Amino acid sequence: MSTVLAAAGVGAGEAWTFWILGPLAILAALGMVVARNAVHSALWLVLVMLCLGVFYVVQAGPFIGLAQIIVYTGAIMMLFLFVLMLVGRDASDSLIEVLRGQRLAAVALGLGFAGLVGAAFFRALDSRDAIGLAQANAEGNVQGIAASLFTRYVFAFEVTSALLIAAAIGAMILAHVERHKDQKFTQPDLMRARFAPGNYPGPKPGPGVYATSTSVATPGLLPDGRLSDRTISPILPKRELTEAESTPKATEGR
Amino acid sequence: MNGFTIATPAQVLAIDVRLPDLDYAAMAPMLVLFGAACLGVLVDAFAPRQSRHTIQFALSFIALTVALLAVIREARVGSRELTADVALAIDGPTLFLQGTLAVLGIVALLLVGERALEKGGPFVSQAAIPVGSEADRRQAREEGATEVFPLTLFALSGMMLFVAANDLLTMFVALEVFSLPLYLLCALARRRRLVSQEAALKYFLLGAFASAFFIFGMALLYGFAGTVSFGGIHDAALLATTSPLLLFTGLAMVAVGLLFKIAAVPFHVWTPDVYQGAPTSVTAFMAACTKVAAFGGLLRVLYVAFDRARWDIEPVIGTIAILTMLVGAILAVTQTDIKRLLAYSSIANAGYLLVGALAFSKEGLSSAMFYLAAYGFTVIAAFAVITLVRDDDGEATHLSRWAGLGREAPLVAGVFTFLMLAFAGIPLTSGFTSKFAVFGAALGVGEAWPVALVIVGVVTSMILAFPYLRVVVMMWLSEPAEQSPTVAIPGAFTSAALMVGVLATLLLGVFPSPVLDLADRAAEFIR
Amino acid sequence: MEPGYYVVLAAVLFTIGAVGVLIRRNAIVLFMCIELMLNAGNLALVTFSRINGTLDGQIMAFFVMVVAAAEVVIGLAIIMSIFRTRRSASVDDANLLKY
Repeated sequence: MSTVLAAAGVGAGEAWTFWILGPLAILAALGMVVARNAVHSALWLVLVMLCLGVFYVVQAGPFIGLAQIIVYTGAIMMLFLFVLMLVGRDASDSLIEVLRGQRLAAVALGLGFAGLVGAAFFRALDSRDAIGLAQANAEGNVQGIAASLFTRYVFAFEVTSALLIAAAIGAMILAHVERHKDQKFTQPDLMRARFAPGNYPGPKPGPGVYATSTSVATPGLLPDGRLSDRTISPILPKRELTEAESTPKATEGR
Repeated sequence: MNGFTIATPAQVLAIDVRLPDLDYAAMAPMLVLFGAACLGVLVDAFAPRQSRHTIQFALSFIALTVALLAVIREARVGSRELTADVALAIDGPTLFLQGTLAVLGIVALLLVGERALEKGGPFVSQAAIPVGSEADRRQAREEGATEVFPLTLFALSGMMLFVAANDLLTMFVALEVFSLPLYLLCALARRRRLVSQEAALKYFLLGAFASAFFIFGMALLYGFAGTVSFGGIHDAALLATTSPLLLFTGLAMVAVGLLFKIAAVPFHVWTPDVYQGAPTSVTAFMAACTKVAAFGGLLRVLYVAFDRARWDIEPVIGTIAILTMLVGAILAVTQTDIKRLLAYSSIANAGYLLVGALAFSKEGLSSAMFYLAAYGFTVIAAFAVITLVRDDDGEATHLSRWAGLGREAPLVAGVFTFLMLAFAGIPLTSGFTSKFAVFGAALGVGEAWPVALVIVGVVTSMILAFPYLRVVVMMWLSEPAEQSPTVAIPGAFTSAALMVGVLATLLLGVFPSPVLDLADRAAEFIR
Repeated sequence: MEPGYYVVLAAVLFTIGAVGVLIRRNAIVLFMCIELMLNAGNLALVTFSRINGTLDGQIMAFFVMVVAAAEVVIGLAIIMSIFRTRRSASVDDANLLKY
């Protein structure tokens, strides 16, 4: 019987794992809470989840451990990152305290709670011997889980389907926009609109490229020296040229 | 042998996997609603747009009626059993509360399906379109989304499962099954959609926060008892071979999750915002049905699993009950928006219900169940009236707009006056009989805590009567404001819902004994 | 070291998550803190599974994962729909509902 399945007492290897990954998980969790950038928070959380995944495997739960890494870290957290990227530049957090002293109170409360509960659990569980999953996992971890999941927990298991359907409907309602009939354009419509009077059919001119700036946020100059709004993307803030940039530079021959 | 080897067929056969006994008749109410909800999703996908609303409404109505009949059938058979191993308990309280949920669900469905008050109904057509955009203005008069019907059915089936759940895991799944659709429904208002989305966000974040507590509590109780079935926790508490610390911490955290749903102080902060921001028909649904389901679950947890820990939890939950009544009543006085006023009143009512629950007696249980039914009808009717008082921007919920409503529309103002008097607990209304039953049950125990709770309950009832009466005085005695809102002529659905709500409020006040007897006979949990 | 240490670690992680919910303002980060709390619950479940010698805890952890997945879908959809209009994911900007 390998250590993966026995796991009643704690071997030296597991102790090492715990004392390395445990503090790492706590540090990563703290990192998630204090990171200013939401993307960094998400990555810290991924680290916590990976540590927990290892703990599950070490504690005789290879299936749940791998599900943690593949499903939780791989799918759910990636969904978070995806939304963060969509939400984009607003992702960083303000550090202005709206309720005065709320942060301090929350941290004090948390420290108190953690100290109290942690110490209490420690005392409550210190004397308790772990039975270990050797017997429960005798037929294999996945088989053992299946045997309970499809008997004792079968009803709850079926009900989760309702949860998933509700989630699918929710995502559809809140994210899917049905195109209205008069919003659907055919190719001839698009062509007519393109060559209609008042519309410029050619490609738009590129942004201004100067010796001092190659930013796409710098508008190009029209022949008469005015700036053209059409040369930059409308979502970009227009970059004003400084005095030095807009005045023509002297050439050597003058 | 290595843990990762793939089992040979012989090994698989060595495990005895047999489906537990599933009593389909007893599970029928939930299964019917689940099935109808799934069917509703398909209707939305395939039925032509014009006929969707009719089909969906009819489907939901029929499903709820069938579910009600299934509950009644089961009650007549008199089943008292644990089914699906021990995951579900079909007993008196389950059937009473499931029946209540079905009836209140039908009444709330009438409000959800109403389309006479506003073109297209109270729900937005496409919630995905950003608020205030060109496309949003274009969809202002389009037919509302019909996905609300399957979502409502999912929520109701989750609620029915919640009151029947006999272990913490099933209860947790049921909690989420009824919460997720509610989060969504909150975000779908046609008017003031920003506020509605904000309500959904607040409800969602705080709800998820509370579920996290529930999960951790569940883990601790599993650590304590080695099982999460209520009977198992009860037995483990009886033997107490392991440290009771896990038991109490676990109970506290599970209680946080449940008290959040019933909106007890200090877990009530979401209630006013969500009640105000959500579409009024959804608010009515939440105020009536969520309260029934959440209290059903809390009663089962307290009476079945933690019966032995009663003396230890009484002071804590008693304090919460006192705070709930006080905060609900006092803050209700300061409100200027009718929906927020009803939200604080619903918080105070959660306190009165806790008084009944803390009696820890058969009378306490039956009176709390009666209170839930009576309060549900009154609150749905009250929100139905709110949907009627409108101006150009939709519902006029600010209290000042309600001034002089009695002259404008005496009938509607009369109905609302009656409902307010019922909330205030005036005799001959269900508000009086239910409060009387709850306080009576608590006094019947004759111990210090219940008596103290009753005293606070009576005092806060008097405080709470003030905001109700202020609304009444305002409607009848104040001069109407310059641009007073109009009272819309209710459509058939709203009229029916109003009628049922008002009649139930009156009948349960004048002849409460049949329902009281029913609740009394049902008031016994099995373990 | 005893398996009980894992429960202490779970309690610490849970607390960090709860404090994070109270002090962070960005709705998505707030939601991630809630995910951390769920994960702490899962760690406790798996550890108690080992202490009790039954697989029920691991099964419950699976249920928590399913529920978390559904919750994430709904939650992020709500946050996105607000962001589309508001261009902000801060919970302080969600302030229309005040009395």
